[in-house]
Amino acid sequence: MIQFLIDTIIRALDLALIAVALSGVYSLIKFPNVALVQYAVVGAFVGMLLQQAGLPLVLALPVSAIFVGLVAVIFNVLLFERLLTEGSAIALIGSLALSMILSAVFLLAFGPAAYRFDLAVAPAMRVLGARITVHQLSTLAITVAALGGFAAILFFTRLGREMRATATNKVLASASGIDTRRVINATVFLSGVLAALGGMTLAMRGSVSIDLGTQMLLPVFAAAILGGLGNALGAIAGALVISAAETFVTNTNFGVLTGTDFLFLPASYAQTASFALLVGFLLLRPSGLFTSEVSRV
Amino acid sequence: MIEVQDIRAGYGDGPDILGGISMHAHAREIVTILGPNGCGKSTLLKTVAGFVTPRAGTVRIDGQHAEAVPIHEKVRHHGVGYVPQTDNVFRTMSVAENLLMGARDLDRQTREERLDAVMAQYPSLANKRRRKASALSGGERQILSLARALMAGPRILLLDEPSAGLSPAMMHDVFDAIARIRDEQDMCILMVEQNAFEGLSISDRAYVLNLGKVALTAQAQALLNDPAMERLYLGGAPAE
Repeated sequence: MIQFLIDTIIRALDLALIAVALSGVYSLIKFPNVALVQYAVVGAFVGMLLQQAGLPLVLALPVSAIFVGLVAVIFNVLLFERLLTEGSAIALIGSLALSMILSAVFLLAFGPAAYRFDLAVAPAMRVLGARITVHQLSTLAITVAALGGFAAILFFTRLGREMRATATNKVLASASGIDTRRVINATVFLSGVLAALGGMTLAMRGSVSIDLGTQMLLPVFAAAILGGLGNALGAIAGALVISAAETFVTNTNFGVLTGTDFLFLPASYAQTASFALLVGFLLLRPSGLFTSEVSRV
Repeated sequence: MIEVQDIRAGYGDGPDILGGISMHAHAREIVTILGPNGCGKSTLLKTVAGFVTPRAGTVRIDGQHAEAVPIHEKVRHHGVGYVPQTDNVFRTMSVAENLLMGARDLDRQTREERLDAVMAQYPSLANKRRRKASALSGGERQILSLARALMAGPRILLLDEPSAGLSPAMMHDVFDAIARIRDEQDMCILMVEQNAFEGLSISDRAYVLNLGKVALTAQAQALLNDPAMERLYLGGAPAE
């Protein structure tokens, strides 16, 4: 049971940063930016290159995250602001196209191989009988710090109040003297930072390859939708639910159902759990676990 | 205070909604823009506010060109307050939070003083200062929206159909509040209104638009008594 909880939490951490980024941006500009999962891959590759160039990991992480944040703002200004004038559907298709272009660029630059951060191999520790690695603990610390920082900005700063006001009512926010374009770009920057950190924490515990973004796309969207698309903090709850389902599917012995001693489903079935949960929620509770958007945050 | 000269404006690649409109409004007066649906009333107000950039012509505020100045700049630096037609409160925020959103750039002491003054001016809001704006009635929301715009201490108030969706009793309260703002604060108020008779009853002057042009302009009282106005634009006689 403890192992199940730890595996669920670690998997949720994989999803949470990118899902929060996705929901945060959606709350302001009302389209789900598919390219965010590729921003996570950019973050992982850039972080890895910075480390290879001699930068300590503790510096490579924030530098890469800031770089990706700026890249996200540049794409927003040059691409999405213009596409959004034609409607959310056009912007969504544009983000899909950008996602494919970035994937092609990764293939050109890095090839199909998987790369790893240069991290010392450490044996797993035992906590209440369950196994946990140092890299998993690092992921936990980075994710909690990043999400805590994001929540602090949202609730306790002037920018956060402006983000909430803009998410609630953009016209009224403008009429209250808020420069909504600046607020949107600040949120896009933060979403890029979160996505990059998400990509790097994933890569730190495994590897980074051009497929990473595609693999993350469905569970991240499922988590964001489950949390109530646009509700940034609801996305964390969504990530936990998706992770619990995925962990259950891949860690449970289904042998009793078939009369055999062991029947474990392959890891590839994890995405099926995400799909099933997503479809179920869309049928029964289409607005997600939490009914509204960041307007409520 | 507001001078609009020959403006043409529209949305996207669409045709001109405003086909060369000129108008003006001064301090201590309410100027109402009237006309049938689709004549360009709201577009004119949005162009003056800065939501729509005119394709030609000028908008001056206190003599300064302001046609390309976006709304948030006008609110912060040109003394403009804007009240949208619908969806005019932050529904998930409390009454007090809504009001404070209108005074974000003021120092803490001034903000608190303004909040107290507004609460004193509108007791119905004071009694519900901690209540969510979504729980207010339509009339209370309209008053809250007006009060939010006043928090920044504007000299010009732009109102987009302040009576939209209100019952006659609530409409009366809202128009009464608007008239008091003009009289007590020497405000320049430019108002788009569908309820022509009610709007004119508190106005000083009015412009009647038709097909994106000014069809008629006169003192409000004169328009109220003009049979042609009644027949063409006001849709019937005033209610007793």
